[in-house]
Amino acid sequence: MNKENVKRFIKSVPPVLWAIIILIIVFSNFSKNYLTYRNLVIILQQTSVLLVVASAATFVLISGGLDLSLGGVLTISGVAVAFALNAGLPIYVVFIIGAAVGFACGAINGTLISYLGLAPFIVTLGTQGIFFGLSLVLSKRQGISISNETFIKLGDLINGKIPMAAILCGILFLFAIFVQNHTRLGRYTYAIGGNREGSRLSGVNTKFWHFMVYAFAGFLTGLAAVILVARLEVADPIVGSQWEFEAIAAAILGGTSMDIGRGDVKGTLIGVLLFTIVRSGMNVIRVPSILQPAILGTILVLAIVLQVSITNRRINHE
Amino acid sequence: MSKNKVSIHNLSVDQISNLSRLLALALIIVLGVIISDSFLSVENLTNILTNASVLIIIGVGQTIAIVTNGPDLSSGSILTICAVLVAILMKSFGIPYPIAILAGLSLGALIGVVNGVMISKVGIPSFVSTYGLMWAVFGFAYVLLHGYVLYDFNSSFRFIGNGSLFGFIPMPIVIMALVVGLGIFVMTKTTYGRRFYAVGTNSVCAKMSGINVDKTVILAFVSSGFLSALAGIVLIARINAVQSDIGSNYLLSVLATVYMGGASTEGGEGTIQGTIIGALIITIVYNCMNLLAVPSEWREAVIGLLIILTILIDSFAKKRAEKTII
Repeated sequence: MNKENVKRFIKSVPPVLWAIIILIIVFSNFSKNYLTYRNLVIILQQTSVLLVVASAATFVLISGGLDLSLGGVLTISGVAVAFALNAGLPIYVVFIIGAAVGFACGAINGTLISYLGLAPFIVTLGTQGIFFGLSLVLSKRQGISISNETFIKLGDLINGKIPMAAILCGILFLFAIFVQNHTRLGRYTYAIGGNREGSRLSGVNTKFWHFMVYAFAGFLTGLAAVILVARLEVADPIVGSQWEFEAIAAAILGGTSMDIGRGDVKGTLIGVLLFTIVRSGMNVIRVPSILQPAILGTILVLAIVLQVSITNRRINHE
Repeated sequence: MSKNKVSIHNLSVDQISNLSRLLALALIIVLGVIISDSFLSVENLTNILTNASVLIIIGVGQTIAIVTNGPDLSSGSILTICAVLVAILMKSFGIPYPIAILAGLSLGALIGVVNGVMISKVGIPSFVSTYGLMWAVFGFAYVLLHGYVLYDFNSSFRFIGNGSLFGFIPMPIVIMALVVGLGIFVMTKTTYGRRFYAVGTNSVCAKMSGINVDKTVILAFVSSGFLSALAGIVLIARINAVQSDIGSNYLLSVLATVYMGGASTEGGEGTIQGTIIGALIITIVYNCMNLLAVPSEWREAVIGLLIILTILIDSFAKKRAEKTII
C-alpha cells in the first residue's frame, strides 16, 4: 500500500523536475557558491522576466496557437517605455504605456488570427518582423539608456538582498495563474484549445475570447518589458530576439501541449527553472561563452523532443 | 463593367489568385519604373534576377516543405552553417573546393533529416521543431567561426557566384534555372511530387492509400535542407565572404516568397512557379528600397507587413471565390 503510494508519487513528478534536481546536485558539487543565497537571487533576477513571457506563451499554446512575435512585443514595448521615461513621465504612466503597447501588439495578432482566420505562426512571424523592424527604426539601431534612478530601483538587486525584478515578475506570474484559474479568459482558453467548435455551439463567443488570448499575452509581455528595461537600465532594439523561442520551449517543457488544450502556467515555472539552471550551470562548470548558445539550443531541442514524445505516449495510453 | 465582372466570376479560385499575383508583380515593376529611369536597364534587371536567385533556390526547397507539411524555419540557419563549413574547409584546411561543397551539401541534407524525423516520427509541429533547431544551428555556426569573418576564396570556387556562362549569363541564374527546372519536373511529373501534395492535403488519407507519410515528410525536409545549403554556397561564392549571421535575414524573406507564391498555410497547395513570382516581388521591393535610399532598418518591418498583407489578400480572395462558386 505504502509502496504503491511512493510509486505513484514518483510517477506524478514530471521528468523535467527530476532533471532539475539532478542538475542542481551536480552543479552544487562543482562550485560551493552555487547554492548560496546571493547566487540564487542573482539567478532569479536574470530569469524572472522569462517566466512572465513564458506564461504569456503558455496561454497562447493552450488555446492551440503559437505566438512567435513575443520577443518583438517585448522589444518594442521596451523601446516605448524608454521613450516615455526619457520624456519625464511618472513611473505609473510608464507601466501603463508598457502594458498598452504590449496589449496593442497582441490585439493586432488577435485580430488577424481570430477575426480574420489567418494561421497563427505566419501571422506572428510577420508581426515579429514588423515589431523588431519598428524597434530598430524608432531607436535608430541604438540602445536607449535610462537615467531615472527610482525606475532603475524597480529592477535592481537592492542592497544585494532584495531582488526587485524577481518580486515584480513573481507578482505578474501569480496574476497569470489567477487569470488562468479564476476568470472566464482562463477557462475559455482551455475550451478554445480543446474544442473550439464545441465551445462556440455552447454559446461561448469564441472569436472574442480567442482574440483576448493573444491580447492578454501581449499585455503580460508589455509589463515584462517594463521590468526588463528597469533591470538592464537600457532599452535595446535587439534584446528580444530569441525570447519567443525560449518562452515557448519553457512552456512545452512544463507540459503544455498545443494540440489538445492541455497544460498550465504553473507547469511553465518548471520549464523556466530547467532553463535557468542549465544556463547558470554552464557558467559554474566554465563552459566557454561562445559555446553556450549552441549547447543551450541543442539541450532545448532534445528536451522538447523528449517531452513531446512522453506527452504523446500518455495521450495514447488514455 | 458588368461584362468584366462576369468574366472574373467564371475564373476558378486558383486562376484568380494566380492573376492577382501577376498583377502585384506588374504593379511593383511599374512602381520601380516610376522610381528610377535605370530600373528597366539590362544591368539592373540582370542584377535583380541574380539577387533573386539565392532566394529562389531556398524558395524551391521551402515550397516542397510547405506543400508537404509546414514551413522549414531553419532554412536560413542551414544556409549559414553549410556556408561556414564550406568556407572553413577551404580556407583553414586547404581542402579542394568540390569536396568542400559536397561536405556542405551533405550537412544540409543531414540537418533536413533531423528536421524530418522530429516532425514525422516524434510529432512536433514543424514550426516549433524547425524554429528550435534554427537557434541551435545558428549557435553552432557561431562556434565554428568564433565570431570571425572568412573571406577571399579561390577564384574557381568564386566562379559559382561571380562567373558567367558563355560570358553573359551569371552563374547564380544558371544554377537557379537548373534547380527550378528540376523542381518543377519533380513536383508535376513524378510520383514524388504527387506524394508531397497528397501528404500535405490529407496525411491520414495519404497513409491509407499506401503512401509512406513519414518517409515523404523526411524527404521534403531533406530537399529543403539540401537546397538551403546550395543557396548558401552560391551566396558566399558571390559575396566572397562569410560570417555567422549571413542567413539570418532569409527567414522572413523566404517565407514571404513562398506564401506570396500562393502556397497555403494548411499544406497541399503551392507551386514553384508561384514561388518564383514571389521571389521576384520581394527582390524588386528590396531593389526599390535601395533606389529610394530607404534606411536598412525598415527592411524587416516592410517584409513583415508584406507577409501579412499577402496572406490577408489571399484569404479574402479565396473566401470570395468560394462564395461565388456556391
